[in-house]
Order: sequence, then C-alpha cells, then structure tokens
Amino acid sequence: MLFILYFVALLLAGFLAGIVGAMSGLGGGVVVIPALTLLFGVPLEYAAGASLIATIATSSGAASAYVKDRLANIKIGMSLEVATTLGAIAGALLAAYIYTHGISSYLFVLFGVILLLMLYPTFAAYERHRRSRMHKDWSTSFFQLSGSYYDEAEGKAIRYSGYRWWLGEAVMGVAGLVSGLLGIGSGVLKVIGMDWGMKLPIKVTTSTSDFMIGVTAAAGSAVYWALGYIQPFVTAPVVIGILLGAYLGSKMLQRTGSRSVRLLFLLLLGIIGIEMLLRGLGVA
Amino acid sequence: MEINDTISYVLITGVVASLLFVVAGVALIFANNGSNGFTLGEIANGHVVVGQSMFSAAEISQGIFALQGADFVLLGLIVLIATPVVRVLMSVLVFAYERNRLYAAITLIVFVDLMVAVFIVPGLLAH
Repeated sequence: MLFILYFVALLLAGFLAGIVGAMSGLGGGVVVIPALTLLFGVPLEYAAGASLIATIATSSGAASAYVKDRLANIKIGMSLEVATTLGAIAGALLAAYIYTHGISSYLFVLFGVILLLMLYPTFAAYERHRRSRMHKDWSTSFFQLSGSYYDEAEGKAIRYSGYRWWLGEAVMGVAGLVSGLLGIGSGVLKVIGMDWGMKLPIKVTTSTSDFMIGVTAAAGSAVYWALGYIQPFVTAPVVIGILLGAYLGSKMLQRTGSRSVRLLFLLLLGIIGIEMLLRGLGVA
Repeated sequence: MEINDTISYVLITGVVASLLFVVAGVALIFANNGSNGFTLGEIANGHVVVGQSMFSAAEISQGIFALQGADFVLLGLIVLIATPVVRVLMSVLVFAYERNRLYAAITLIVFVDLMVAVFIVPGLLAH
C-alpha cells in the first residue's frame, strides 16, 4: 500500500512536470529534479538520470501533437539541432576536464548570470504586446524559415518568419555545450535563441524547443545509460505521468494566449537563473 | 504523406509503445511483489538499491520472456530514447524523397552527430 502511494505521488509529480515542460518548451526536468531530490530524497545522479528520460518523454509526447498541428516548425528545429548536437558532444568530452579543474562552479555562476540578464529583454517583449518584426535577411529564405500556424487562442492563422538564423544557431551551440558540460537541460537557452535571437512567435518557439530537446537529451542519454544512473521504479511513474501531462500540456498551449505563455517562461527563467547562480556559489 | 504527418506518426508510435512496456512492467512488479530477484521494497527504495547498471542488454531480452517487470520498464525506456533517433532518420529519408537537398544534408548531419554521441563518445569518456 505504501509503495502504491509512493508510486502515485511520483506519477503526479511527473504529470505536473509534463504540463509545465510541454507549455514552456523547457522539458520535464525543470520540475523533476527538484521534486525527486527535495520531496522524495532520491540521490541527485539518479534524479538527473530520471530527468534526462523525462526530457525525452516530454519532447516526444508534446511534439507528436505540435508537429501534427503545424505549431512546431520542423525545418527550424532540425537546422538548429546541428549546433545543439555538436555542442553536446563537445561539452560531454570537455566535462571531465571542467570538473577536475574546478571550473564547473564558475560556469554555473556565469550561466545563472546570463539567464538573469535575459529577464530584461524577455520582459520588454512581454510589455510590448506585439511581436517585433524585422526585415527578412538572407537566412530567412535560404533556410526556409517562414511558416504559419492556426492560433486557437486568437482564432486565426498566424503567418511568421524567422530571422538571424546564425544568431539562433550560435545560441544553440552554447545550449548544447552547456547541457553536455553541466549535465542540465538546456531548453531555456533554446527558447531564448528562437525568441530573442530569431524573433519567432513565442508559441512556435516553445513548441519547437519541445521538438528539439528530445534529440539533445538522446545524445546525452548514452553516457548516463553507460553510467547506470537510471532506476526503473523511480523513472517508470515519472515517465507515465510526463507522457500524459505533456499531451495535456500540448493541448493547453494551443488555447493559451501568447502573453500568458511568455509570462510562464519569464517566471521559469528567473527561477532557473537563481537556481544556477546558487548552485555555482555552493549554496544549493 | 507530408513530413509533419510522418514525424508525428513516428513520435506517437514510439510514445505509445514505450508507455505500454512501462505500464506492463509496473503491473508485473506489483503483481509479483518484486522483480529480478529483488523485493518490491528494494526496488521502490528511493535511496536506490537497484540501479539500471545491473541490467545488461542480454539480461533485459531474457527478462522479457521471464516476465520480469523491471526488464519491461527498461525496454520501454530504450524505446523512448530510440524514438528521437528514429524521427531524425525518418526526416533524412523524407527530405531526400522530397528532393530538398539542403534539409536532407542538414538532417543527415544531425543523424551522424547522434550516432557519434551514442556509440563513440561513451567509449572515449571511459579512457
């Protein structure tokens, strides 16, 4: 009976993580790691293993709906994955050096500061009410970055174009590097790269980020699998909860207004920024 | 079939298959009051007595036929991890079929990166 309660509690945590992860484009890890370590007392490396699996579950669960409904942009996602996967490989190879030389805490501080600095442009975009438009550049046509989706919240089709592909690609390279180096999900940088860098609509951004994070996490999972940090009984309820939550979250995103989605991301950006800063300073 | 529908189909198939294996595994763990010689209490221990490193690929395939719950869960997780890899491979094929050379090349690069990350990087880190 006790184990069933434990199982159901983990399942509910996964369900919540799936909804938040799918709507924000950050994946389920943001909720899973603190929930498992703080509430359930699971050791950090096993929580991180479960979180990696949770990220893949959020990605596939949410993206199956986003891709079908043309909300996530496959071309934008795939062209940016070139940099995230290369960055993740470089990060994984450099990680041992970073940890033996004690550089990792500086990187956590730097990452936290960068995220907190991004609060201002993200908030400015929230205040502006309208998406800023730019002139199409060479990358818009060369990489076929235009698209359209039907916005259920606004009740109309939204046409959009992506700009400054090189800037998005550069941010994605850093996102991949950070995830490989520090072993954390980098959905937050993916959202920044597409929202701030390429000026895509926020719902296209978060859904395309969901589409992408599964590939980055799959690239990182081989190392975790080899290390054996995946506990079947802890991971199983989290995965079941996340798959159900991510599906519900993907339906909720479609009906949620763009400003509310940006507000959710803004909130999570602040929380993750502070969390990374504290981890770097050795407080948490 | 458009690329969006193909990719969505791959993702849904992976998710449903994975979910079925994981749910079956959990049901077996509870029904047998344990799995692979461990009691339910040991498997459900949050401080981790049972780690995935105890399960080799060969053991998992045998455990499936012996109806061992933990092996079903791990097979479900392998299917889940393989899903994004399969969807990248499918996009290479669809873009090639559509004669979109730029995106066939881009997706091929991503696929090669993934293969390096999965099969070569863990070996390099071991040394």
